[in-house]
Amino acid sequence: MTSRRAIWAAAALPLFFIGYFFLYPLGRILWLGISELQIADLLTETRIARVAWFTLWQATVSTVLTLVLAAPLTWAVSRFEFPGRRLAQALVIVPFVLPTVVVGTAFAALGWRDSVWAILAAHVFYNVAVVVRTVGGMWARLDRKVEEAAAMLGASPWRVFRTVTLPLLRPAIIAAASIVFLFTFTSFGTVLILGGFRYSTIEVEIYRQAVTLFDLPMAAALSIGQMIAVSALLIVYARRQERTASPLVLAPEASTRRHPEGRTAWAVAASVAATLAALFVPPAVLVVRAAADGGFRRLFVDEPVLGRPLDAVPTSFSFAFVATVVAVVVGICAAYVISRRGSRLSQWFDVVLMLPLGTSAVTIGFGFLIALDWPVDLRATVALVPLAHALVAVPFVVRATVPLMRSIHPSVREAAAMLGASPGRVFRYIDLPIVMRAALVGAGFAFVVSLGEFGATAFIARPNTVTIPVMIFRLLGRPGLGNFAAAMALATVLGAITAAAIMVMDRFRSTDLGTF
Amino acid sequence: MLTVDDVTVRFGDLRAVDGASLEVGDGERVAILGPSGSGKSTLLRAIGGLEKLESGRILWDGVDLADVPPHRRRFGFMFQGYALFPHMTVGENIAFGLRMEGRDPSEIRARVAEVLEWVGLSGFDQRTVDNLSGGEQQRVALARTLAPDPRLVMLDEPLGALDRALRERLMVEMTDLLTRAGTTALYVTHDHDEAAFFAHRIAIMREGRIVQVGKMEELRRNPVDDWVADFLD
Repeated sequence: MTSRRAIWAAAALPLFFIGYFFLYPLGRILWLGISELQIADLLTETRIARVAWFTLWQATVSTVLTLVLAAPLTWAVSRFEFPGRRLAQALVIVPFVLPTVVVGTAFAALGWRDSVWAILAAHVFYNVAVVVRTVGGMWARLDRKVEEAAAMLGASPWRVFRTVTLPLLRPAIIAAASIVFLFTFTSFGTVLILGGFRYSTIEVEIYRQAVTLFDLPMAAALSIGQMIAVSALLIVYARRQERTASPLVLAPEASTRRHPEGRTAWAVAASVAATLAALFVPPAVLVVRAAADGGFRRLFVDEPVLGRPLDAVPTSFSFAFVATVVAVVVGICAAYVISRRGSRLSQWFDVVLMLPLGTSAVTIGFGFLIALDWPVDLRATVALVPLAHALVAVPFVVRATVPLMRSIHPSVREAAAMLGASPGRVFRYIDLPIVMRAALVGAGFAFVVSLGEFGATAFIARPNTVTIPVMIFRLLGRPGLGNFAAAMALATVLGAITAAAIMVMDRFRSTDLGTF
Repeated sequence: MLTVDDVTVRFGDLRAVDGASLEVGDGERVAILGPSGSGKSTLLRAIGGLEKLESGRILWDGVDLADVPPHRRRFGFMFQGYALFPHMTVGENIAFGLRMEGRDPSEIRARVAEVLEWVGLSGFDQRTVDNLSGGEQQRVALARTLAPDPRLVMLDEPLGALDRALRERLMVEMTDLLTRAGTTALYVTHDHDEAAFFAHRIAIMREGRIVQVGKMEELRRNPVDDWVADFLD
């Protein structure tokens, strides 16, 4: 039995944090949107109707395209064993971890700005990893005997695929499609950079209404609409998950992979090579053009309005550091509460602390903008950006640490108590050391999230708090080829830092974390 | 002296412990014997302060422990499954209680070595706990419980998971150790032989109630009812 007082003591900080920086701003958005009765206007204004339609349309098309274009690689890496398979699987994750601003800039570097195709291509580029991971994960474990049985019953390879394989993969395909749809439905950075003024999603429109047109009630009404849409999507997704979680004909992963032969070998090679080459082009062009156009030199040169582009790097790093510390402290306190099963507080916490993950970054930024002038005006302080980043990062820390905290058997804590450890010391000597490594992985995620965060930061960054993504975006908005080159160079820097951070974390996770 | 006075512990609608009373004198060893689900472990946990009392009192030398949290009771508790700290070495596990008391490092080191010798594990202090055999884990748990010299030692099925031969050997060693130290002890078990061997007196528990207390021969000779007679048979 953990004492109630200890739980409430640990709960106080996350409660305040989520309450003041998340629920309260959300309440202010609701109030602003409802009190000014803009919801009615939403339905009548034609621009808004167009935006809503485009949001839905591009998300649907992006999802279908991603599923189709990711299929060959998914098939190759989950069904076959060949030299370089692991490498291919690792490489395909890289686009997914790149900050949206970097992806947007890479496609802009291809010369595709202001077009639907650029948006769709960027979305596919970003989300191929989701399909390969989700669908491939299940495909790799599908027992070949089931397909062989169908073949023995006279089905041609195509009919086996259509009548056996595809139906069995359906839950995974639906899961992947839902995730891709959600990501593209709430896509902000890519659309803002590549869409120009013509193509606007709801997310981009919230930003435009609030920051460019300063129509805050309209932005609030749009935010509410967006929240309703996203919640509905998440609920449908959760329902689906429950319904389709049927026991399947699964086998150990290694046993289902074959060495490809003859024509199949060519098909596998072509699938892998073509997909990886396509994924390689945008970042490669970004780097080459940044160098060729003299972008890296421009990073050191003062731009008349924005100042020296490279100055955003130390700003971003110090913000990421503060955001990580805050997210880890709040996240571990929250994980402590969540891992004490049985109390109603812990169940409630489990849900509430994940909410920032399901809320668009734009909504979080907008909420900060309109709400954090009370009781003191935080908006003028440098703390605002790292606090927003911490809010976005907390769920990652919680996700990383809760499983380990739950794995500590209650009697281990009780044994410490019986040996004279107060609840605080039980936390310090038992919980903390055991979750330390997981907390470090969570901290790594928090750091990367903060470095790449754009949606919320775009709202609240001030001239003295310009992060790397915001600087890239502003450079893209300035006239002149020199600024574009600088944007590409800075995007290259950010992409490289992110990729390096992910690699370090991945190594850390696979070697050290396995000891418990 | 420990006094358990009419204690009830409730889980929802179930009275896991139902008006239990018991006294344990200084230096006395008492076994709580009963079938599984009879509330023995819950009673032990209640004495340790790990379960909330619905009613009744637990006293030490006449002082009510209601407001004393587990970590201030200075009771030793050996858990079923041992609950060793997985991220600490054998030595760190045993030193834990001494560290909580704030004793100085040289004293702690000497005490850890002493206690390890008692349980026959000299030189084990740098070992990690996940590489120990079942019997070694049991001894480490016992050493950890005894190291801070608690005023009462509670043992919850301490030999539960071990094989027969090992149980018998450890039983003898453990009883010998506690006898020499003159430790006051409560021992929860469902095994008659263990209870009879270990304890001065035995408390029989059934459906949350303590139905009879006494020496094994007395209980066998004068069981309060047919159930006790059958149970001890």
